[in-house]
Amino acid sequence: MRVIAPLLAVLILAAVPATADPRVRGLRVSVDGRRVLVDFQLEDAFDEETAERVGTGLPTTFVYELELLRDRKRWFDRPLDSATVQVVALFDAVSREYLVNYKLNGKLIESRMVRDLDELRHAMTRFDDIPAFDLEPLPRRWRLLVKVRALLGPKTWLGIIPTRVSTDWNESHKFMAPEELMPPR
Amino acid sequence: MALKDRLRRHRKDNRFIIGGLSLLLVVLSGIFYLIQRGRDIPETLLNNQLLLFVLWYGNVVLILTILFVLLRNLLKLLIERRHRLLGSKFKTKLVATYVGLALIPGLLLFLLGTELLQGTVDRWVNAPVGEVLKESFTVVEGLYTRLEEQSLEDAAKALEAIGDLDLGDARQRPELGRRLQRLLGELDLAYLAVYDGTEFVHGVVDPGTGITDLPEPGRRNLAAAAAGERVVRRIDAQGTDGRLVLAAAARPEPPEDQAGQEEAPPDDQAADDSTTRRQATVVLAGVLLEPELVEVADQLVAAHLRHRQVEVQEDALKASHLLLFLLVTLLILLASSWVGLYLAGRITVPIQALAEGTERVGQGELGHRVEVEADDELGVLVRSFNRMTGELKRNREVIERSNRELVEANARLAEERALAAAVIDNVAAGVIASERSGRIVTCNGAALAMLRQSKEEVVGHAAREAWDDPERSQLAELLDPRPSDEGDEGDNGNGGPGRRAREARELHLVLDGEWKSFEVKVTPMVSPSGELRGRVMVLEDLTQLIKAQQLAAWNEAARRIAHEIKNPLTPIRLAAERILQKYRRQDPDLGEALEAGVEILLREVEAMQAMVDEFSRYARMPRPQPQKVNLEGLIAETLRLYRGLKPGVEVASEIAPGTDELMADPEQLKRVLINLLDNAIEATDPPGKVLVRATTHDGHLELHVADTGSGIPAQVKDKLFLPYFSTKGRGTGLGLAIVHRIVSDHRGTIRVEDNRPQGTVFTIDLPLR
Repeated sequence: MRVIAPLLAVLILAAVPATADPRVRGLRVSVDGRRVLVDFQLEDAFDEETAERVGTGLPTTFVYELELLRDRKRWFDRPLDSATVQVVALFDAVSREYLVNYKLNGKLIESRMVRDLDELRHAMTRFDDIPAFDLEPLPRRWRLLVKVRALLGPKTWLGIIPTRVSTDWNESHKFMAPEELMPPR
Repeated sequence: MALKDRLRRHRKDNRFIIGGLSLLLVVLSGIFYLIQRGRDIPETLLNNQLLLFVLWYGNVVLILTILFVLLRNLLKLLIERRHRLLGSKFKTKLVATYVGLALIPGLLLFLLGTELLQGTVDRWVNAPVGEVLKESFTVVEGLYTRLEEQSLEDAAKALEAIGDLDLGDARQRPELGRRLQRLLGELDLAYLAVYDGTEFVHGVVDPGTGITDLPEPGRRNLAAAAAGERVVRRIDAQGTDGRLVLAAAARPEPPEDQAGQEEAPPDDQAADDSTTRRQATVVLAGVLLEPELVEVADQLVAAHLRHRQVEVQEDALKASHLLLFLLVTLLILLASSWVGLYLAGRITVPIQALAEGTERVGQGELGHRVEVEADDELGVLVRSFNRMTGELKRNREVIERSNRELVEANARLAEERALAAAVIDNVAAGVIASERSGRIVTCNGAALAMLRQSKEEVVGHAAREAWDDPERSQLAELLDPRPSDEGDEGDNGNGGPGRRAREARELHLVLDGEWKSFEVKVTPMVSPSGELRGRVMVLEDLTQLIKAQQLAAWNEAARRIAHEIKNPLTPIRLAAERILQKYRRQDPDLGEALEAGVEILLREVEAMQAMVDEFSRYARMPRPQPQKVNLEGLIAETLRLYRGLKPGVEVASEIAPGTDELMADPEQLKRVLINLLDNAIEATDPPGKVLVRATTHDGHLELHVADTGSGIPAQVKDKLFLPYFSTKGRGTGLGLAIVHRIVSDHRGTIRVEDNRPQGTVFTIDLPLR
């Protein structure tokens, strides 16, 4: 047992490619009237493997899970609302263009055509002013925060066990809803 | 009915099992069909994350199910073996065999199939066709690139050709159109258009291409081209299956002052466009790729992309195929394991139940039933076992009931035996019982007292051992086994031991110097099946009775003697007194009187003399001198004396064979016959018959003397054989007494009975030897 356990650990670690872990960075939250706008970017996720996959014409999806929570100092944060941003990239090999669709909570909110990988990487990993949540139903004076994580494509572990690659949750700064909600700009 | 019961019933139902197996077969067939169709399933589906997870968790569930099924059964087997349950070893072997037969080939097949599948996917991905597709794709891309370069070059030429024209001047537009048409033909283009910035100015299309609508390059592309960027686009042409390869060329933007001299557009849109117009004139040239080439190029691109997709998703593809294969394997393993366990259970459960039932029956629980459903030979065995236990239970109940009855009967018998023993011990008669072999088993106190012996001297000994002295040996002869006992089956008629149940005889023994007279009755004990079990001897001590009878007889004899003597005394005295009277009177008739008186005296004295002689003869009757007797001759000789003596009275005889074996005193026997025949002839009135019949049985002679006379009253029969008893009013009354004595001296018996339909029969029973 003393031999098997370390050996098993080595095997497991060897099966995991030694690449940088994807992570969500630059999470910023702003309030526009009653809407919560979220900015963030995903780093070290759009690697060569992803680019190669996109280049084959396969639809490639990044899913971002966003949660709005009430901050509680001496207890677990209370989830208030959640949102999903789905980014699907599809390569047209003839026109050599990349169609990028954005869905918020399953509804298409934007579609974009980009022509090179840098632009595609930017389109799939950088988000500005995503109107993720609505503050209208929430009480005022609550300290709020937003958490974001990314769910990347499936991987197989030990060649047979499917796993979902995801980043850790990234938390925003705390903020409070304004006393009076203004209509969005 | 509870659900659990229904499930249990369904579990035992073969239709349910067959239905389950059929469903599994359908599922496996479906999976097999899907595998066969696998090549038609889009890779996107095969690589779908959801499919992978579904397959993976399906496999996990199946693995857990198989482990659960196997471990559960393994645990049960271990517990059963630990508790040493009957049949657990057999069940272990059977389960191991079934599961091993299911698991080992399945796992081997899975490992082999996995390797095969991995190799197949590797060969599929790394096949040379990949290179071919890649080269084809390169060719297509080269073609497009060449067309793009050509389009760019042609766009630049066209831009240069119209460089002297002012697009803002409406008067130059016709010239622009003519030049564009000329350029279209010279450059062999399918489409040529001029944009003022992003505003369309003029466009021409080769009518031979079939293009119906002008392609829209897009403001963004126009802006990029105006900004000096390389803009090429491949778009599908409207109205034809061909594809346009568009390229944009822009004239360098005019100087600021020149642009500022131009007039502002009348509206906002024109205002926006004015900015572009100030910057560049864009020429858009399009080369049409023929539909046939487009189709081929698209196919090559699509094939290349599909191959690339497979390459990219090789791991996921392998995983999905492996998981699918593993799923099928696990399903087969689960089905085979379950079927194996089920079949093992179908065999072992009835056997276990039977083994347990056998043990419980062995422990005495005869009514135990095996409640296991089985419809094959084991079912027959179970039903036979249940029938057997049912029969055992019923038999046991019968035996117990019989046992109780037997115990009760034994108790009753014991009581009766005790009562009988008490009765036997307390009766005045002596009772002796012997087995068939002659061994004495019972002898009551009265018998011991009569025979002057102790119990130890008699009980447990053979009769001849117990009574080995000359006197008592007469008793032993009666109890000894006889040759006729062999094969005796309870013949209660005329030949078996039962006949001697009535046997009674008188024995005179001298015991310890004292004369004793016994009446001995020997009765055979016969089983209900007629088998001789032994004999019972009943002794009646007749000594006192005989003495009393003798005393009474002597009284009677004295009375009779006195009477007989008294009778002649009266004529003697009268004759003597008459002679004396004549003499005293000197009667002249004295002589006659004397003569007559003397005559009377002599006659009476003679009579008295005869009587005295008779008594003397009776008293001095000699002991018999046995010899072989010709009974038939003796009877014939005697009967001759009486034939014709009394007219109308027939005298006859019937002699059975075997009577010549008789050992007796012929003279005494003849005297017996004469006495009996005298009485018979005298008692029979004509017409009548006197019959002498002789038969033999069981070593005895029976001699019957029967008449058809008036018969003998019942109250007289008991006294017939007493001396000096007579119903005739004359004679000595010694005739039948003499007969009785002679018969007794010959160890025989005599009895008198009524003859049927009338008369009297005397029966003499004598041993032949």
